[in-house]
Amino acid sequence: MGHPGAVPATRTRPHPAAVGAVLLLVAMIAAALWRSDESGTGARDEGSTGGAGAAGPAAAATVGPGSTCTPTLTNPGGRNNYRPDAPRDVPLGRGLEITGVVRDTLCRPLPGVPVQVWLQTASGSERENRTTVLTDADGRYRVETDPAVSQFGEPNVHVAHDAEGPWRDVFQRHVVDTDDTLAVVDLVLVPAS
Amino acid sequence: MRILIGVAALGGAVLVGLALAGPHLAGAPPLVVVSTLAACVAVAALAVQPWLTRRRVGWHLRVGGIVAVLVTVHVVALLVEDPDDALYSMSLDGPTRARMALIATVLLAVVTLLGVLRRRLRWSPATWRFVHGSLAVLVVVLGVGHAVIIQGALDGWGTPVLLALGGLGAVGAVVRLVRVLRAPPAGDATTPDRGRLRSGDGPRG
Repeated sequence: MGHPGAVPATRTRPHPAAVGAVLLLVAMIAAALWRSDESGTGARDEGSTGGAGAAGPAAAATVGPGSTCTPTLTNPGGRNNYRPDAPRDVPLGRGLEITGVVRDTLCRPLPGVPVQVWLQTASGSERENRTTVLTDADGRYRVETDPAVSQFGEPNVHVAHDAEGPWRDVFQRHVVDTDDTLAVVDLVLVPAS
Repeated sequence: MRILIGVAALGGAVLVGLALAGPHLAGAPPLVVVSTLAACVAVAALAVQPWLTRRRVGWHLRVGGIVAVLVTVHVVALLVEDPDDALYSMSLDGPTRARMALIATVLLAVVTLLGVLRRRLRWSPATWRFVHGSLAVLVVVLGVGHAVIIQGALDGWGTPVLLALGGLGAVGAVVRLVRVLRAPPAGDATTPDRGRLRSGDGPRG
């Protein structure tokens, strides 16, 4: 077969090493995607369309004498677009309530603790749309805002305790849906020193 | 071929129209708009790219360069506009969709480099085409796949258009791969060229 000077038929197939390398690469990519978190490491879907009173994992835990609460750790992306000194009690619109209870590691509610909330809505970007509120006597903070809109591929909310004081800073990023009316993000703080 | 190019161009125009008409980009910073539109055009270009390898290699080279530039614009615009979220997305902690985009971008750079270095690599044509083509399939699947998963400017009707364009590109690349793996007869004009363009293949402008 073939005419003089033609390349032998064996050379018309890809080199086995190249085939093996590509197959290995495909397997590695599949593993990398399989091991990834859909919304990013540590980000939970905390949104719901339920009424007020729904609660996240920490708040749902039984809280009684002798209980301990696991400290909240800053999750990856929690600090994204954070700005210190957010103004107090800025009206951010209506449609989505972001709330939660702030506790210490003995699960005692912490009143008067500043909590900053920021998110992207139709009326403001994540860098502009922020406010700080104080927790009430039950340790609960509450922010009413326009619904979250997709930002970098998914609607998300940021909740942080960032003020100087007796409690260590913590920054959280969690995801919601655009039609959610409630997002519950509880915080468990540890002493600053 | 002209029909395929027309379909891809129409799909790209629809994506651009949907993105501009939707609420997501209304009031968005200019860099976000630029980034999104660059991605829309890049998807259309990727859809037609593998089909250009048969008789329009010159155009394949040009469109490949255009895709590389568009994806660079897409990524750099996001990095400048929102470095926190962009760097987080590119990190190991980023969400699945961002990991898909990151891998697709790296592979696109490799595919483009393979094209630029084709003669210097001195690989057999079949090996080069297999590696270039199989990585190109991954670029299309992961790149368009991340656009499908993302919530934003191309939700709704944008999803079937993205899937159609991605399918067009992926099928084209797989068809070319199958031809390589079937080992064309010795003496075929494609075997000894070491990446040289045949007459009429090169850019004419």
